[in-house]
Amino acid sequence: MPRRHEHGGSGGMNAVLFRRTLAASRLRLLICAVGLFAWGLVTPLIYATFGRELEGLVQGNPLLSQFSQFGGGDLFSLSGAMALGFIHPITVALLSVFAIGLPVAVVAGERQRGTLEVLLARPVARRSYYVTTFVCGALFVGLLLAAELAGNVASAASLGVLDEIEVARVPLLWFDGWLLFLAFMAIAFAASVSFDRLAPALGIAIFVLLVTYVIDVIASLWPDASWIADYSLFHYVRAKQVLDGSLAATDVGLLVAVVALAVAYAMFVFPRRDLAAPS
Amino acid sequence: MIGGPAAIVTHGLSKTYGVGRGLGRAGATVAALDDLTIEVREGEIFGFLGPNGAGKSTTIRLLLGFLHPSAGNAQVLGRDAVSDSVAIRGRVGYLPGGIALYDTMTGESLLDYLADLYGRGAPRRAELVERLELSAATLRRPVRDYSRGMRQKIGIIQALQHDPELAILDEPSEGLDPLMQRAFYAVLDGLRREGRTVFFSSHVLSEVERVCDRVAIIRSGRLVALSDIEVLLDRRRRHVEMRFAGDAPALEGVPGVSDLIAQGGSLSCQLEGDVGPFLAAIAHAQVRDLTIEPARLEEAFLEYYEDATAA
Repeated sequence: MPRRHEHGGSGGMNAVLFRRTLAASRLRLLICAVGLFAWGLVTPLIYATFGRELEGLVQGNPLLSQFSQFGGGDLFSLSGAMALGFIHPITVALLSVFAIGLPVAVVAGERQRGTLEVLLARPVARRSYYVTTFVCGALFVGLLLAAELAGNVASAASLGVLDEIEVARVPLLWFDGWLLFLAFMAIAFAASVSFDRLAPALGIAIFVLLVTYVIDVIASLWPDASWIADYSLFHYVRAKQVLDGSLAATDVGLLVAVVALAVAYAMFVFPRRDLAAPS
Repeated sequence: MIGGPAAIVTHGLSKTYGVGRGLGRAGATVAALDDLTIEVREGEIFGFLGPNGAGKSTTIRLLLGFLHPSAGNAQVLGRDAVSDSVAIRGRVGYLPGGIALYDTMTGESLLDYLADLYGRGAPRRAELVERLELSAATLRRPVRDYSRGMRQKIGIIQALQHDPELAILDEPSEGLDPLMQRAFYAVLDGLRREGRTVFFSSHVLSEVERVCDRVAIIRSGRLVALSDIEVLLDRRRRHVEMRFAGDAPALEGVPGVSDLIAQGGSLSCQLEGDVGPFLAAIAHAQVRDLTIEPARLEEAFLEYYEDATAA
């Protein structure tokens, strides 16, 4: 017998919950945004200052040449430097505060603490809770990515190298990166709605992120293993190519499909599952 | 007013959980609630009594749509507890047992937030804050600084501040000192006078006896008794101790008298049901002292449990 579930309520955004999530996250959001903006200043600076010397150093050394391809970026062009910053662990870590930390905290974390019970005792549908917190997370991730790219652009402009990229393509890179972290966020939400405790949800979300990251790094540094890149979500954000003029529709489609699948799973499971008393 | 339409109706409500996984354990289930059929009338304070782990919280979570029944169904305020749970929660106030609060918020901002989620203000908050003696200064402090009793007061206020038609309170007096318990009982009396319905879950027998109109007793997920408090108490045994000037009268065979122990001028016995025959039997004796311990719900409760165990 299929399990019945709650109906009614808007099932959409809840303005009160939205405002509260924004208010509760604003300090962390500010710190991460400042950090990413500062980090965004760094990679164009390294390119403009040491790019030529580094390129000369790397040329003729196959090992260094391969190593310089880390994550599809490089330090020999502005687009490569921005791409390198985009996939750097600093960017991934700061974005994960919201792409993974928020989804895991607002469902599994609140379940474990017992506060989700207090919220859902109000006329707030579980789907509405999910949609509202998802939208908050998507907004935060988008703002953080914008902060990093703003740092890139500001740095490149101040160093006089901004004309080396087509600035109009920067929003496309933002969109592509946003989709990537939206995919991780949707997966983290899917894990979060499935568990009553924080640890398993957090473990699964971090595991997925780390495994796909490591796959991409190995594939970019080891030519014989380049085929495994197809199994990493990071592979589908080719920042340098996007800035240089090509955004593959299939890459975007795949990221959209991952987001859609994870969202569909969470929207199906969350209203139907039992929320037993917190232990 | 008691006796109107039902605020809560359950029919054969059951909840089973799977326990353990692995070889030899697949498919094992435990019944947290088994075939519960009750009706809570509008305007009454309904006690839901049972020891920890009896299934009280499971029942409440089924009524609010947190859990999905394995069998049976429940209607709250005329709506289905599963498919209409959002609408139900808009008309209900709920105090979870051992409520968890957002520690970084102040008491006031937390109450504002929780009231805003109902979207209809907090008409009762001022009265509740005053009765439960939470000062404005206290409400401006972060919840993390609150004692257990203060947290419980916030829990009670958040459940009642929006003036719900039905309050579902799980162990509401837990953590309150005796004075505050009294203040809380006065709040409940006020709700009763206004015709509000309260579903009052507790393992504290004395408070159920004090505040409730009817009580259901639950044990191991099964309903073992459902009765008016008065009826339950009336049919319980009273313990009687008497001293007489001279020999004690013969009470053997008097209806309602049992466990009779007579020793010279002293007599003790158990008295059950109508006290008329007993009073008639001692009417001509010279009573020097008489103690009748009032029937406590606790005794009724224990007897029900003993009966259920024996069965």
